[in-house]
Amino acid sequence: MVRFMMRCIVAFSLLLSALPALAAENCTVCHKKTVKGAHRGLPCLSCHLDEAKTLADPASRESGAAGCVGCHKGYAALFGKAMGSRKGERDFVARSWGKADPDFFAKNCNACHLKGCTDCHGAKGHEIAKPKDRDCFTCHKGYFVGTDYYGMAPREDSMRYQRGEVAYGEAYLKMTPDVHAEAGLACAACHTMASLAAGKKSAKGCRECHEPKRNIPEHRIAAHLEKMECYACHSAWSPQEYGTFYLRFDSDSPSKERYRVRRDQAAEEYVKSTYLRRQDAPPLGLNRQGRVSPIRPQFIAYFTDIRHDRAIWDENRLLAAQWKAFFPHTVRRGSVMCEGCHDNPRRFVLEREEERIYRPAAEGMTLPSFWDATGQEVANGAFYPQARYREMSRKTTAYQRGYLEKWQSLVNHVETSSAP
Amino acid sequence: MKVTESGKYRTPPSGGRSGGGRFGKLLLAFLVLTAAGCAGKGTQRENCLSCHAKIEHVSAAHPDCVPCHGGDPLAREKEAAHRGMHGRSNPSAPEHWDGTCGSCHLYQLDRVKSNLMYTTTGMIRNINLTWEGPDGELFSSRGGEVYDPEGKAQRLKPVAELNHVSGELYRKFCSQCHVARESGDVYGASHASGCAACHFPYNERAQYEGKDATVRGRGPYAASHAMERLPGNEVCSRCHNRSGRIAYSYQGLNDGNNSLVPTRGGRPGPVMASGNRNLTHIAQDVHFTAGMDCIDCHTSRDLMGDGYSYRNMYLQTEIACEDCHGGAKPPRYREIVSEHDEALRESAGYRMPMRPGMKMIVTAKGRSYSNVFYRDGAVWVLGKRSGKLFKSRVVTGTPEHTVVGHGRLECYSCHSRTVVQCYGCHTTYDRSGTAMDFVKGVETQGRFSEKEDYRMLYPFPLALNQRGKISTVTPGCQTFVSVVEPDGSVSKNEYVARFKGKQQLRFAPFYSHNTGKKAIRCGECHGNPAFLGFGQHVVSGRSIEGTMICEQSADKPLDGFLTLQDGKVRAYSAITRERSRPLNGVEVRRALAVNLCLVCHDKAADPIYKKELDHGALHDALHRRLLSAP
Repeated sequence: MVRFMMRCIVAFSLLLSALPALAAENCTVCHKKTVKGAHRGLPCLSCHLDEAKTLADPASRESGAAGCVGCHKGYAALFGKAMGSRKGERDFVARSWGKADPDFFAKNCNACHLKGCTDCHGAKGHEIAKPKDRDCFTCHKGYFVGTDYYGMAPREDSMRYQRGEVAYGEAYLKMTPDVHAEAGLACAACHTMASLAAGKKSAKGCRECHEPKRNIPEHRIAAHLEKMECYACHSAWSPQEYGTFYLRFDSDSPSKERYRVRRDQAAEEYVKSTYLRRQDAPPLGLNRQGRVSPIRPQFIAYFTDIRHDRAIWDENRLLAAQWKAFFPHTVRRGSVMCEGCHDNPRRFVLEREEERIYRPAAEGMTLPSFWDATGQEVANGAFYPQARYREMSRKTTAYQRGYLEKWQSLVNHVETSSAP
Repeated sequence: MKVTESGKYRTPPSGGRSGGGRFGKLLLAFLVLTAAGCAGKGTQRENCLSCHAKIEHVSAAHPDCVPCHGGDPLAREKEAAHRGMHGRSNPSAPEHWDGTCGSCHLYQLDRVKSNLMYTTTGMIRNINLTWEGPDGELFSSRGGEVYDPEGKAQRLKPVAELNHVSGELYRKFCSQCHVARESGDVYGASHASGCAACHFPYNERAQYEGKDATVRGRGPYAASHAMERLPGNEVCSRCHNRSGRIAYSYQGLNDGNNSLVPTRGGRPGPVMASGNRNLTHIAQDVHFTAGMDCIDCHTSRDLMGDGYSYRNMYLQTEIACEDCHGGAKPPRYREIVSEHDEALRESAGYRMPMRPGMKMIVTAKGRSYSNVFYRDGAVWVLGKRSGKLFKSRVVTGTPEHTVVGHGRLECYSCHSRTVVQCYGCHTTYDRSGTAMDFVKGVETQGRFSEKEDYRMLYPFPLALNQRGKISTVTPGCQTFVSVVEPDGSVSKNEYVARFKGKQQLRFAPFYSHNTGKKAIRCGECHGNPAFLGFGQHVVSGRSIEGTMICEQSADKPLDGFLTLQDGKVRAYSAITRERSRPLNGVEVRRALAVNLCLVCHDKAADPIYKKELDHGALHDALHRRLLSAP
């Protein structure tokens, strides 16, 4: 109701402001354009502003979306926030692949570039509309949280794995979707324009809608609620890239054709490929607020420069080993059992040497293990401290009690007759 | 040249593999052999070496060219000399082996002829099952008369006569990797046919790199003309590198996601394998790290057959972990009393031949190893090639190995570091394309291609195998079949074949050969339902929800075969082999219920694990006092 009234007020004020111009407008004599959606019926100049000095693209970033912000006040701020500036990404590239190729960002990262309001609000210009989820997924797909929400994980880079359902230009591995997606909530249900313009990640946090139920044993453990993000337990899975390689080739390196991997992930002179991908529950660390959160490599960045089919400089050079605390958007009602975290050092990037499976150091990839924090960092947080891990893994009486209750709640209900 | 019947030609302990004094030894051996009347054509000089000067001698026991190769040794022209040869280069090929290798090594040849590595009967049968091929009839690479394990005569039909898409798949996709046919142009996976497949190893590029100038640099040939009496690991790797790829896992190599990075010298890397696949390094098998070769565990009967024709490799293999390490009972041995003992004959080529009176450890089938013996209260394994002695740790009776209930586990269920798992094998049969039929030797209509979903190494699922034991299992296979008709229409789309009476995917019991000394921790396995076959998951109330799911069914994990929905355990994939099956509700509950004890009783030596667990104990006075809320 409030929304409807707001709309009426906005429409009315728009009309008022447009009325004087309306009488004089004859744009459509030449420009056969029809505005659709909420802005239908508005005079051209309400957006294009001036007949003499027409604003060709009223929504463009260059103009500061001058044609939009007259009514939608304050939203030009978006261009200065994460989505517009891509400061985080630029800074990361500057201290990683950018060291090997100063133009790396421009060559490989420019596909996701906010050019103006209509990137999301109706891509065809005059069909201005509220963004649909698919508008978000133009950029927020693959390894960049978004499509995971609908249970789509990026596949391996090799062409052998490029199969199945294709959406937003990528073939996906089918995973379980977020419960909120199943319930019909779109991206915008949490990520409002106001929150984005304010530079916030979302308008709502979990606890603004949900109160943790006390009948769940985990929720009665004070440390869980005080020290952890809800999604540390409730993120069911997440794409993880361990070892992201960019290989740069000169034009005299036919070996480039032997890389039978996806070629749509990098500029023409590059091949991008990943040493290892996983899709299970991501490791845990601390986020900027000091709370336990999922973390993942973003990125463990390697670079090889290939001229005349030979590696020049250092081959497979490790340029950064950076992780990020993040929210995977794969929320499920359930979670892993106690062992998913307790007494599970790999989950906290504290893998014991004798349990090491992958041996990147044996390939000259510098790191002894991806699940060993040595030589790695978390950009917006920290790896879980060893001392805290030891403390957490102690089998105190309280732990034993909680553990028993949790396991009994499952075991006692497993029926002993198997269905066929 | 009856080498098999006489100990006279026993190779000296240093074999033909040492560098210095080699010529002297060869000469000596030649003279001995000549004196014994075994040199074929008496004293007449062969002219072969006038062209093939410097070619490596095969071995001391094989001094002449003609007994193996045929041809006319007295001719001086190439053409005349080569006329009547047993094949261009490989007299051991199945087309010739009866008159060449088999004329002396009849015992071995008869075994090889019924050996699965030659017949591939098991492989063809499994493909038949996967592709709904004709049931009942047994096929083999070339057909032939064999004896089944009961000793009954059996006729295997040649696979060329298997007129079904399954036969075509075998001939076009799988037939390259076996002893019946040469594979000459596959990087890292080429091998000769017949005996030479193992005893005259090819290098990665199948090029001769020996000293005979007329052949040097050419291929496909063995790397050297010197015979490999005891094939090394790289010989096994030529074939055992796909699917289960145990030869790679054993060496700590992972054929993972084929991402071709990191690069090596600017080329795809780090280690390349056939089919433009790349291998990366993972934890090695503990036996490999110790320096053991494939053939140090696997007997010649495992590899060359025991004279009977089995329908699957797990029936032919005669060894088990317990042979050396003990199980419920310690390893068994049998003393060498006869001078004709097979262990004596077989070990003649080892660095340390066995001697009468030695106590030879016996295999699971009750036959003596030729290199594993009992001495001074310990089990010792002799490296057949290396001559190294490895002391085997016997675990019988140790607390970790007497946990009640664990008697049902295969050793490798706990001791596997990783298990190779490939999820989702999407095979397209395109009738509009053509492909080479390697058995028939012609290109025919119909082409196969494969795509895949996901590979992983750890964790790995467990289920019951053919012995009724709980074993590691791996997809075998999750085949989704699509068929494209000549007009381009799709007549089958991602079809799941019928198996054991219904449409279902399959897992197969499998030992990955990536063994660790340290077992998986108790809580690691019991506390993670993925090990029971639920796949990666979250637990939600009374349900276990898979998080990586099958495209065709939202409630079934792709990386598992069990679901738990509101307390009900349901299996939706088959475990191949007789008597095999996923764990049932009783077993799932029992395995998970162990956690109720493990949280406090976390040592295998704890006396509660010496008998069946009594969960009622949780309600006794002691436990109630310990566990009551504060």
